[in-house]
Amino acid sequence: MARFHPLKVTDVRRETRDSVVVTLAPREEDRALFDFTQGQYLTFRREFDGEELRRSYSICAGKDEGALRVGIKRVDGGAFSTWANENLAPGDEIEAMPPMGRFYSEIDPAAERQYLAVAAGSGITPILSIIKTVLAREPRSQFTLVYANRQISSIMFREELEDLKNLYLGRFSVLHVLKAEAQEIDLFTGRIDEGKMAALFRHWIDPKAIDTAFICGPEGMMLTVAASLREHGLRDDQIKFELFASSQPGRARARAVSRESATQGNGTAATVTLDGATRNFQMPREGETILDAAIANHMDAPYSCKAGVCSTCRCKVLEGEVEMAVNHALEDYEVRAGYVLSCQAYPVSDRVVVTYDE
Amino acid sequence: MSDSMSIEDYLAQGGVLTAPGNVPARYRGELLRLMSSFVDSELAASAGFADAINFAPGIKERIAASRITLEKADHAEQVLEVMGDFGTDVMRYQTSHDWAARVAREADLGAARRPGDMRLSVFHYPITGWTDAVVMNVLQGLATGVQMTELTRVSYGPLAEVFRQIAPREARHAQLGLEGLERIAATPEGKAEILAALDYWRPRVAAGFGLAQSARHEMLRRLGLRHQPNEALLAQWEAQLQEELARLGL
Repeated sequence: MARFHPLKVTDVRRETRDSVVVTLAPREEDRALFDFTQGQYLTFRREFDGEELRRSYSICAGKDEGALRVGIKRVDGGAFSTWANENLAPGDEIEAMPPMGRFYSEIDPAAERQYLAVAAGSGITPILSIIKTVLAREPRSQFTLVYANRQISSIMFREELEDLKNLYLGRFSVLHVLKAEAQEIDLFTGRIDEGKMAALFRHWIDPKAIDTAFICGPEGMMLTVAASLREHGLRDDQIKFELFASSQPGRARARAVSRESATQGNGTAATVTLDGATRNFQMPREGETILDAAIANHMDAPYSCKAGVCSTCRCKVLEGEVEMAVNHALEDYEVRAGYVLSCQAYPVSDRVVVTYDE
Repeated sequence: MSDSMSIEDYLAQGGVLTAPGNVPARYRGELLRLMSSFVDSELAASAGFADAINFAPGIKERIAASRITLEKADHAEQVLEVMGDFGTDVMRYQTSHDWAARVAREADLGAARRPGDMRLSVFHYPITGWTDAVVMNVLQGLATGVQMTELTRVSYGPLAEVFRQIAPREARHAQLGLEGLERIAATPEGKAEILAALDYWRPRVAAGFGLAQSARHEMLRRLGLRHQPNEALLAQWEAQLQEELARLGL
């Protein structure tokens, strides 16, 4: 199972008014673990008011920079990103899992490829890592970036992108699309929609020449760009996605419900929600798991190994108490938040309310 | 850009998810179920084919069977790695079942999975000889080819990538089977053996496509985990199989 390791903050640089670039150094013994591939992300964890938050941020450094760097944009109301923007300082330690993600294509030094990337806002972070790595390691390949932002002042890595243009003259081009700022060419003003994509392909980018396209941004923009790429002849295996989800459902909020004390008795009144439908039934305290009881009551609850290993059957206890026989898959923070493996969970209170939908 | 959109709407419109951190709970459950079914089937297929190596009549066939045994295990490992991103204990998972275990040859499991692991029911039946192994591999290989048209576009991006890498090698396994079948079909005795094995395996492989008008399909389709209904995939498989058998005069 992926585990957390401490990283030392060696530098914090303000990138825009609401974003920072944080440079991190792993311990000597963890160096190999943090040897990332361009386009991957790190998952951090930190406690805020007794509640563990986990957030993933993409690495923005190229493979050849010899450093681990992430870009963190402050999200309104976001505890983690606000803390990183306002409090994080060199010398601090922060815990992270080794790099994850498959948002990249294999580098081939002999290749002569045309890449296109479309990024919106902080979606630039993994793409910057890919751009730097590709330009350095595939000397015959070319890269075009379409980069959407609200206005000039909110563009992350603006100077760094300019420097890259100069360093790799003729191999790297950037088209800035600004939502709230008029530019000389109308095409570059507004938001990325179907019409703008079509116009880009008509005037600026030859879709037939593209070998691989990378898209990173929020849901709507990803759908629009992917649809346009397909319409212009790209196959699914040529399009790489990294979603910057506006909502992060992985959040583990501590259970607010008061815990009922375990009581003696034979039966439990169970309430189980699956796909928005709720069923109430009686089940025994012993010998039957929550999963088996749900299945016996004609609910199509997900499961696989039934051995507490795979975590397919994960559900959340909203009320009451259950006990797991074994747990090889859920981490402590998930258990604290009320998640259990239903194939291993036996009720110990009079009443148990669980859901597979949260 | 402030395109706020629910993950459910995004998926229903063909959106791709890219990390464990952005998948909803129900999606997670169904995705893991899909992955474990694939992993269990590949591990059981590999374990089953290991015995077929010793049924092989010659070196060429022995190499083909060894290769299938090896690569199916490798494919299982690749998908299991994606499960590991969601918390699955991958070391324990590999040893959680006896992948070589089989039911009696004449048992009839229908489409139901057996308690224990999530392998397709066809991988619970024992292989009895070389022709039997080749026929099973051709039928299931073509079925996997059809299933791959679904799996390579599942809405979980990292998994779709793995399936796109696996698909050509799985196709090669089916091709090895067809080459073996052609050699066996060269004699009248071989043909008779093939027909007997076809009778046995055909309904059992067909059962792996699941039920027609499956109630789960609509939910899986909304999540982008499935696209075509079971009956459409089954029809494609039957058409391909007809074509291959006709080509060999069977």
